Amino acid sequence: MNYSLATLWHERPRFLPGIMAVAFSAVLIALQCGLLLGLFKITSIPVDNSNAHIWVGSRDVLSVDLGRPVQLSLMARLAVDERVEKVEPYYQAFASWIKPDGGSALVIVIGAELDDGNMGCVNELNQEMRDALTEPNSVVVDRAEFDKLGIQNLGDYAEINKVRVRIVGQTDSLKSLAGPYVFCSRPTAIMLLRNMTPRDTATYFLVRLKKDEDPEQFAADLNQKYEKRRDMDVMTSETFSTRSRVHWLFKTKAGIALGYTALLGLLVGAVVTSQTLYAATAASSKEYAILLAMGIPRRKVTGTVLVQTFWVGLFGIVLAYPLVHALAGLGRLADVQIPLPVELLCIAAVVTLVMSMMAGLVALRSVRKIEPMNLLR
Amino acid sequence: MSFPAEEDDLPALRCVSIVRSFSDGGRSRNVINDVTMDLHSGQITLLMGPSGSGKSTLLAIMSGLLTPDRGQVLARENGRMIDVWRLSPREREQFRLRNCGFIFQGYNLFPALTARQQLEIVLRWGEGTSGREARKRADEMLEVLGLKGKEHKKPAQLSGGEKQRVAIGRALIKRPKYCFADEPTSALDWGSGQVVIDQLQKAAHEYDSTIIVVSHDHRLLEHVDVSYHLDDGRLTETDIPVNRGGEFESWRAGQ
Ligand SMILES: Nc1ncnc2c1ncn2[C@@H]1O[C@H](COP(=O)(O)OP(=O)(O)OP(=O)(O)O)[C@@H](O)[C@H]1O
Ligand SMILES: [Mg+2]
Repeated sequence: MNYSLATLWHERPRFLPGIMAVAFSAVLIALQCGLLLGLFKITSIPVDNSNAHIWVGSRDVLSVDLGRPVQLSLMARLAVDERVEKVEPYYQAFASWIKPDGGSALVIVIGAELDDGNMGCVNELNQEMRDALTEPNSVVVDRAEFDKLGIQNLGDYAEINKVRVRIVGQTDSLKSLAGPYVFCSRPTAIMLLRNMTPRDTATYFLVRLKKDEDPEQFAADLNQKYEKRRDMDVMTSETFSTRSRVHWLFKTKAGIALGYTALLGLLVGAVVTSQTLYAATAASSKEYAILLAMGIPRRKVTGTVLVQTFWVGLFGIVLAYPLVHALAGLGRLADVQIPLPVELLCIAAVVTLVMSMMAGLVALRSVRKIEPMNLLR
Repeated sequence: MSFPAEEDDLPALRCVSIVRSFSDGGRSRNVINDVTMDLHSGQITLLMGPSGSGKSTLLAIMSGLLTPDRGQVLARENGRMIDVWRLSPREREQFRLRNCGFIFQGYNLFPALTARQQLEIVLRWGEGTSGREARKRADEMLEVLGLKGKEHKKPAQLSGGEKQRVAIGRALIKRPKYCFADEPTSALDWGSGQVVIDQLQKAAHEYDSTIIVVSHDHRLLEHVDVSYHLDDGRLTETDIPVNRGGEFESWRAGQ
């Protein structure tokens, strides 16, 4: 309604704090969620950056970095299914890294097949690196982790679980949350992880399905078929990726802390917005009171306040949009990835708008207080 | 006392034995004490009295805003007298929507809205009038009030007298059967005050409205049809100026 907009425009200074509060909440939520998403994307890199349709891991595995060994014999269950084109074992486990100068660090060793058509290698391992990795006890680590791992140059030597390894290559932008990734061949991984991963086990089996087969269906079928055994979990790579991120999101203090901050932002936004609308309505209470005296139903006034609330919310969100992008840009400069997918921005906008409408509902108590009788004095 | 049964002779509004008390400091005090009065359509009735005598309180009771402790407020509708205070709150709100306009000393105009919008809002929110129709009627009303060319002005750009005229326009735009005005001229110089009373007279005559004006201003006396004096919650004197009171007086005399 144009009366609400006219009021908003005429009393800009009065409404500005509310609009700013909404913008603040929206920015905070979008950035927090963006940060979460950025952080937790890291947790599913091994899944997202490889090429399997299906991941098979230990029962109820919570996250890709928490896989427990599964019996190699279970591969047969997969191989006999006619929808399967290829199955390969995959190794991943935490290991202790001794730097060339003696310090130690916790790393995640990832061992996959290296041949053409493999599924487990992250896409960042190019042909040259894969060739180099065929050499026993050679590894590839990410450029960004060199410092943490005490490496100066390619060709340096370090120790993993008491085995001497040589750094033969480097990836770019494959950082990890739990510990640096160390990529190697399957035989090297078996060697390095011999204590955690017994000879007749792997951490995961990766499956490629034949063309046009539905991974969802395949996973559901196998889980149902072997439900009673409770010894493996069959997941599409999407499911496993999400499961890994969600695990980190809910099970880590970091995720909860970030969530709290977003919630706090919402609360602050709601309080300020509510106060703004309350004060604005109270300031016009005499004008509204005349209308009520003339028999205009109170719900018309209520409606106007809610429409004003809506505009306050909308303007706040519109204001937030460039701010979020600017701040995400700043983050990028500081090497912090803050992905802002459209879905996230939409959710942040909707949540903030709902917040401001709730704040408006709270502010409606000022409408209930309007009493035409008070005009007659 | 019996009243003529013919509908045209029924008063537009009749207060019967109104009593209203307020408690102040624990004990209750009668602010309106057994007030009975008739108001007629097409007339301006002036209600005078010292400060604190209960004028505003009486106005609120008559207009359906404040519940009386005792007594009746009877309004003529479709040839019958209905008791405003026996209606349900919802019915009373609708009664006011159909029939009542208000003017107060403070102009109480929305600072953000133009003169035209102040008037439009009454029609659009009250009667659901279309935007175009509301605009047309608002502009007509403003022209009658001598505010042509000021339709776009906001209250901050209008003089006190102009603001009060907009407030009158807001009260009269729906052509209410009753218009209640509490001190409509007290903040204005006499020139502006005269414009206000002229407009109210016009409304009384043109729309056959019943207009009640509460005021301290003795200069209004010669512009109204009937005046009452309220003292400590009681009506003390009724003055019916000769220029208009003839019919009423003769009817009274005939009782
Ligand atoms: N809500 C209330 N509670 C208690 N006392 C009230 C209330 N409203 C009015 N009164 C008292 O009733 C008396 C009459 O008030 P009212 O406003 O009707 O006077 P008035 O004749 O309009 O005076 P003025 O000319 O100053 O406007 C006053 O003494 C006032 O203190
Ligand atoms: Mg008064």
